[in-house]
Amino acid sequence: MKYVDEFRDPELGRILATEILGAVEPGRHYKFMEVCGGHTHSIYKYGVDDLLPANVELVHGPGCPVCVIPMGRVDDGIALAKQGGVIFTCFGDMMRVPGSEGSLLEAKADGADIRMVYSPLDALRIAKQNPEREVIFFAIGFETTAPSTALTLKRAKAEGVPNFSCMCSHVTIVPPLRALLDSPDLRLDGFIGPGHVSTVVGARPFEFIPAHYGKPLVVAGFEPLDILQAIRMILAQLAEGRCEVENQYKRVVPYDGNRRALEVMAEVFELRPHFEWRGLGFISQSGLKLSDAYAELDAERRFSVPGVRVADPKACQCGEVLKGVIKPWECKVFGTACTPERPIGTCMVSSEGACAAYYNFGRFAREREVV
Amino acid sequence: MSECGDHCITCSDEGVAMEVERVDVRRGLALCLAPDGSKSTVEIALVEPVAPGDRVLVHAGVALTELSA
Repeated sequence: MKYVDEFRDPELGRILATEILGAVEPGRHYKFMEVCGGHTHSIYKYGVDDLLPANVELVHGPGCPVCVIPMGRVDDGIALAKQGGVIFTCFGDMMRVPGSEGSLLEAKADGADIRMVYSPLDALRIAKQNPEREVIFFAIGFETTAPSTALTLKRAKAEGVPNFSCMCSHVTIVPPLRALLDSPDLRLDGFIGPGHVSTVVGARPFEFIPAHYGKPLVVAGFEPLDILQAIRMILAQLAEGRCEVENQYKRVVPYDGNRRALEVMAEVFELRPHFEWRGLGFISQSGLKLSDAYAELDAERRFSVPGVRVADPKACQCGEVLKGVIKPWECKVFGTACTPERPIGTCMVSSEGACAAYYNFGRFAREREVV
Repeated sequence: MSECGDHCITCSDEGVAMEVERVDVRRGLALCLAPDGSKSTVEIALVEPVAPGDRVLVHAGVALTELSA
């Protein structure tokens, strides 16, 4: 399959692994963060880390939008879903994220009309098919999903669909990266930059990382050879004393992003002053809400939302995992009280969450053996 | 990018490479073919103009970029 097979070639993978081995300085420990949950998933699915020298460590970043949603936000969604006459729609993984008193899936089992959709456009279609019901779409995701929500809202407004609204929990990628870089307990040598977020925002917004924090960043694709090549490129920068943003994923990512996507987002959304991230706390200007021009489509203005902040469960260490301070298996409840079937923390919910990736691809058993 | 396998549909960084089969210019939509053989209607406002045979990266029902050869 074009764009896939050639990036999974085992022989090329071995060549890249040999080059990486030759590029590392003996005695130096390298710590690179893959920002995106998609990379985390690929790394464990294809065993990319097994091809790396022992002194190259990959740290899993905060780039899974399910994993960063705080419990209070889930509670808000459940409160909306339980209102009479409401059809509440969301992406599949979001249904399993635990709130303080259960998940959306459990609320559905209790009788709330909660439906999984694959796209916001599906939610809009449900609204058109059920004009007597209020249909709310729970929008989550980084800049890759936000244009999809924005286009849907534009379409809903243009077509005059009065019973459709959106609970917007979209987030942006740059503010949490800045927060991580300002964190004193995190020491990194470089970043594997997010691939598809960069399709929208481009690679340019990450230039502050080499410029102000002195760390190289390489935007990378999601196939195993993409990730290996990105690591090779970061190591080359470090060896040559360079520090810049490079784009390994040129076949998909334009350096300046998608102008039309950015324009539609600017029209439909505006930045919230603060937004709470699970494990990272409140981060300024990191979340999106609907602009005044789209106020009538804003579920948080149309309905009463509790908006109560709920502390994460004490046993859960998703925060430290999201910051890359601990590995998933170092969490006290990993694989025991917290499993994909009964998750306590969000990192165990999404298939791209670091804990679920570790658990599903056998890391749990292996790491235990090592310990 | 995913080939429609066990990927997380919610993640901002997952996309599916699809081939455009038919374009409805008036509605800004295209019928696209995924690698697993399934077909879906895709919003093309962000990548227009596209033509049958073009390949696009689709996320959450929206084509985000045209894939270069």
